Amino acid sequence: MKFIIQRDQLIASVQDVMKAISSRTAIPILTGMKIEAKQHGITLTGSDSDISIESYIPAEEDGIVHVENIEEGNIVLQAKYFPDIVRKLPEKTVEIEADSNLKVTIRSGKAEFNLNGQDAEEYPHLPKLQTESSFKIPTDLMKSLIKQTVFAVSTMETRPILTGVHLKLENNNLTFTATDSHRLASREIPVPDANIEFPSVVVPGKSLNELNKILDDTEELLEINVTNNQILFRTKHLYFLSRLLDGNYPETSRLIPEQSKTVIHANTKELLHTIDRASLLAKEERNNVVKLVTNDNQFLEITSNSPEVGRVAEEIAVQSIEGEELKISFSSKYMLDALKAIENDEVKIEFTGAMRPFIIRPADGESILQLILPVRTY
Amino acid sequence: MSQWYPKKGRVIFHIDMNCFYASVEMAYNPMLKGKPLAIAGNPEERKGIIVTSSYEARAKGVRTTMTLWQARKLCPNLIVMRPNFERYRTASKEMFKILAEITPYVQPVSIDEGYMDITESGHLGNPLEIAENLQNKIKNELDLPCSIGIAPNKFLAKMASDMKKPLGITVLRKRDLQQKLWPLQVGEMYGIGEKTANKLNAIDVNTIGDLANGDVYQLKRVLGINGERLQNRANGIDPRQVDPEAVHEFKSIGSSQTLPQDTTNETEIRNLMHQLADSVERRIKRKQAAGRSVQIMIRYHDRKTITRSKKLQAYIENKEDILYAANELFQKHWDLEPIRLLGITVQDVEVKENIAQQLDLFTYEKEAEKEKLYTAIDKLTTKYGKSPFMQVKDEEKEDQPRTSFQKDFLDDYKK
Repeated sequence: MKFIIQRDQLIASVQDVMKAISSRTAIPILTGMKIEAKQHGITLTGSDSDISIESYIPAEEDGIVHVENIEEGNIVLQAKYFPDIVRKLPEKTVEIEADSNLKVTIRSGKAEFNLNGQDAEEYPHLPKLQTESSFKIPTDLMKSLIKQTVFAVSTMETRPILTGVHLKLENNNLTFTATDSHRLASREIPVPDANIEFPSVVVPGKSLNELNKILDDTEELLEINVTNNQILFRTKHLYFLSRLLDGNYPETSRLIPEQSKTVIHANTKELLHTIDRASLLAKEERNNVVKLVTNDNQFLEITSNSPEVGRVAEEIAVQSIEGEELKISFSSKYMLDALKAIENDEVKIEFTGAMRPFIIRPADGESILQLILPVRTY
Repeated sequence: MSQWYPKKGRVIFHIDMNCFYASVEMAYNPMLKGKPLAIAGNPEERKGIIVTSSYEARAKGVRTTMTLWQARKLCPNLIVMRPNFERYRTASKEMFKILAEITPYVQPVSIDEGYMDITESGHLGNPLEIAENLQNKIKNELDLPCSIGIAPNKFLAKMASDMKKPLGITVLRKRDLQQKLWPLQVGEMYGIGEKTANKLNAIDVNTIGDLANGDVYQLKRVLGINGERLQNRANGIDPRQVDPEAVHEFKSIGSSQTLPQDTTNETEIRNLMHQLADSVERRIKRKQAAGRSVQIMIRYHDRKTITRSKKLQAYIENKEDILYAANELFQKHWDLEPIRLLGITVQDVEVKENIAQQLDLFTYEKEAEKEKLYTAIDKLTTKYGKSPFMQVKDEEKEDQPRTSFQKDFLDDYKK
């Protein structure tokens, strides 16, 4: 195997593929990165058996040559050293060559690295999914869906299913839902030309976080395939495969209150900044709590109290307060996460009492829903 | 202010009751005076362990933590009694009341020792006079002997009270360090146990003087941040203040118990775990607190001891939750060897006033049922200031501490 490649292209692909490679894995060869050279281009592969990522660099694209002098072949390289080597090479191009004894030479300018490779035949084959049942959404929309929900997954292994994001595609509507049982985030988008449906798959939160990191912010379409135990995300040069979580995701829709007793309309940024200031004293986990009190029909008072540190109070004018008076305490972190996920300038917050979940939505629509369980102070 | 008091710095007493349990028994029953007396956990059982003993017994070689069987071999006429905690608690309370007459700056440390800051008690005499009067008063009124250490800080006071027993009064000034403290073995220093002493000996730090003059980087490497702290103390530096409130602060609440015999019997183990969780629950409720970590301790037949802990997502206070976490840890870490002792401790403990309970999406309905009650309480609280309500706690007489480390009762010596 031999080829000469543009270093920038290689760096970008290596970084993407590295997201799937873990130094702690049950299968030793998976600590390596597979490189496969074909006349049409180079494919890099990484996997930790939960996530597998393939990144493809075409030999030529839009008349620009990325890879030259290709002699076909393949090799597996130690991923521990490869990314740093590539990043620090002196010239714009890199020559990579593997001989029949699995010795790899990396040259750039006058620098030359000799590394021991491993036989690519020993690298597990990634399952290839059938492409028949798929749907497409714009890549940047997928990134929004992930960012608006994935933060709410549970980080505790006590209920493993909650460490994932629940995906549902029904009646041409795609819904993402995540909850750690203390808050819930969900977003729904229409997918007009989807020709498939699935009632429930649960994708590990970690997978979606990694996917979000490597997807570009473009309107190009992302293709998604779902089987009963895997999900595949595909762009032109990227193939991202993740295992699904086993088990039944709890039914959350009936837990979301339908009526409300107090409704507040507020400016998203102002409320966010007020909560953020109040949380300065509430940083310590056990006291990560702020209190919200309605005042007349126009003001909210946000306070926080940490016995050893001190107290903070701020009054904030809001557009409107309708319904009953309210006094409620909640985690400032959950509130900040939720408000950051709202893309609108104005939010609508619906409360049903101090001991019941409250709902935050953009004022103009219902497609994003953030739900937070309050805390009870003794 | 008298010439006896430093212009800068403080005068700290450490009061250490001599053979406290044995002395209390002798005060109750003067017939026991002058005789070798031991207090043991379980006089009937073969593993009964000496909790404390009188000087007469110590003279024969009886030591704390010895088994009864060993002690009897050394001292055949040893009188053995079961601990009588109610008596010790009463005596301790009275003792702290006497200390509190001198200054409000009294910090109880355990049932039988405490610190006092008498810097501002100059009107009562010089420190030595105060100490003598205090020692006499405790002796005359309670018939109990104590040793007092006088020093510019807590650490030195503690070391000083240890130097002359019983009924000693020892002054340890900074200028005495080289002479009085530095020749001692590091193992005799307060804060250094067997393991730490071994680590220090391994790097050729044998005396407290070696520690005081040792290389701070090397000490830190061996003992971490504690290395520097210990070195400071060896040099007579200890910035800790006498904090009368310290006894109210608690980071953990635990309970442990030795089994009648080493066992691998799961029923027996399960029963003990139940008992321990029960006891922890009772004590945590007594303090109106809740905790967020659970630790278990397993001591095996060969005295090898492991502790394993786990941080939880929410604060817990109920037996079921404590037991659930403890059992989970136990199942994971027990290597099936015979067990001698088990312990359960709830850590990261906070009084409930300071914690908020995060409601759960799947269970909030249950809590929400009580909403009206809470709103009513809240309204009354706003009206009358501090909440007029309190969760009723059962006063339990039989709630006896099993070791001197359980100092819950010290909370209320002032009441």
